[in-house]
Amino acid sequence: MIDLKNADPDFKWKIIKKEGGKGLLKCFGCSDCAASCPVRYFDERYNPRKIIRLTLLGMKNEVLSSPFLWFCAHCHACTERCPQGIMVADLINAIKNYAVEQGYCPEGYKLQLDLLKRLGRLYEVEDFDLKKRQRLGLPPIDKTIPEVAKILEYTNIIKHVNSKPNDPLIQEKMEKE
Amino acid sequence: MKKYALFLGCTVPVRAQHYELSARNVAKELNIEFADMKDASCCGFPMKAVDAETSFLLAARNIGIASKMNLDLITLCNSCTAMLSDAQKQMKNNEFYKKFKELGFSYPREVQVRHFVRVLYEDIGIENIKKHIKIPLDALRVIAHYGCHYMRPSQLYGFDNPEVPHTLDEMINITGAESIEYVDKKMCCGGSVLGIDEALAVTIANHKLSIAKNNNADALISICPFCTVMYEDNQRKAEAKFETKYEIPVLYYPQLLGLSFGLDRNAVGMRFNRIKPAAVLEKINPAPFEESDR
Repeated sequence: MIDLKNADPDFKWKIIKKEGGKGLLKCFGCSDCAASCPVRYFDERYNPRKIIRLTLLGMKNEVLSSPFLWFCAHCHACTERCPQGIMVADLINAIKNYAVEQGYCPEGYKLQLDLLKRLGRLYEVEDFDLKKRQRLGLPPIDKTIPEVAKILEYTNIIKHVNSKPNDPLIQEKMEKE
Repeated sequence: MKKYALFLGCTVPVRAQHYELSARNVAKELNIEFADMKDASCCGFPMKAVDAETSFLLAARNIGIASKMNLDLITLCNSCTAMLSDAQKQMKNNEFYKKFKELGFSYPREVQVRHFVRVLYEDIGIENIKKHIKIPLDALRVIAHYGCHYMRPSQLYGFDNPEVPHTLDEMINITGAESIEYVDKKMCCGGSVLGIDEALAVTIANHKLSIAKNNNADALISICPFCTVMYEDNQRKAEAKFETKYEIPVLYYPQLLGLSFGLDRNAVGMRFNRIKPAAVLEKINPAPFEESDR
């Protein structure tokens, strides 16, 4: 049940200002995105059209706290079919970015961010890996790339991620319990 | 001799060395030179969902390295291709470029970003590659898996058909192997949701594994390390969840191409495939076996 008394009329403008968000107002709700979505094909709890409608209506809390927002695989199947030419996957991504800013960041991304900050890559390069590469005749690679941390500090992304301990997936688990 | 900067990303150099090895050895046969990118980092894609600007800056720094090398860039991973192409577009945005410069990075010349298979298709060409085929893999029937970011979003790439892709099928068919026609060719591997909901990711991956099985495919051909994580590393999980047995080897395309070039099986890293491709190798005549491997 959607209660418009809880709507935040500014919400959609916040999304439009985010990178990838500018197509939002063009959506006329045809549901081509949902029909094209491989994730929705297997799990109907994810529905890009519903996320976009709720965003247009201003249902901020409902959108940002939904664990299903994060089910978008960013595969762009929707983007290819949108009759309004919206980069739908980038629009959903803009909503994710805003959710992070508001304190809703899934734990998995926090772990990845920590790895990037320390190493500059998602996997630790062990001596074992370097030896294996050498054995195969592959060139050595850098164990760490410190300039990555410089970028993360510049955009202050770490602060956003840690702004509130508000992981939607944890919330869902708590609700179930 | 054509020369490119080779961008490895996170997964390939430590988890998919057989992909890198086979790509390098196939490139050598085709007279392609790879220059290694010192200080290249993660492409930035994992951070896009958290903050797009951060991911663009990470990606832009990487294409800046290739730019300073005065070379176009080749990727082996689909998502790296999308992320770096996205950043290349951002470079034309003044506000973004200002931030990029502020961080002390530079981008002296425009860099073309393309996936290795696309470069083979466009720059080397099917007819040229055909001349290198020494052992046609006639007995093999395989499933081509493109992965989403090989051809989507089409606004970014303008390459292949985003709904019904065909270039990888063509590239497979020149090796002599049959690329099986099937529906849902563009289906996602599920990799992007693995960290969010593993059961859902495995369910998505299971879709193509079941297509491969129903078509009696000898192998699934991948061109992305993360798709391989889904189809190979998570194959046992899909088997357990759906109470079935797949045992479908997942080969990287350069491995298949290398075998058809007559390269030694070790030169394409066949012992690193986690689902053992023994049955695939047995069907190749003359067999690329080594006595010590028997």
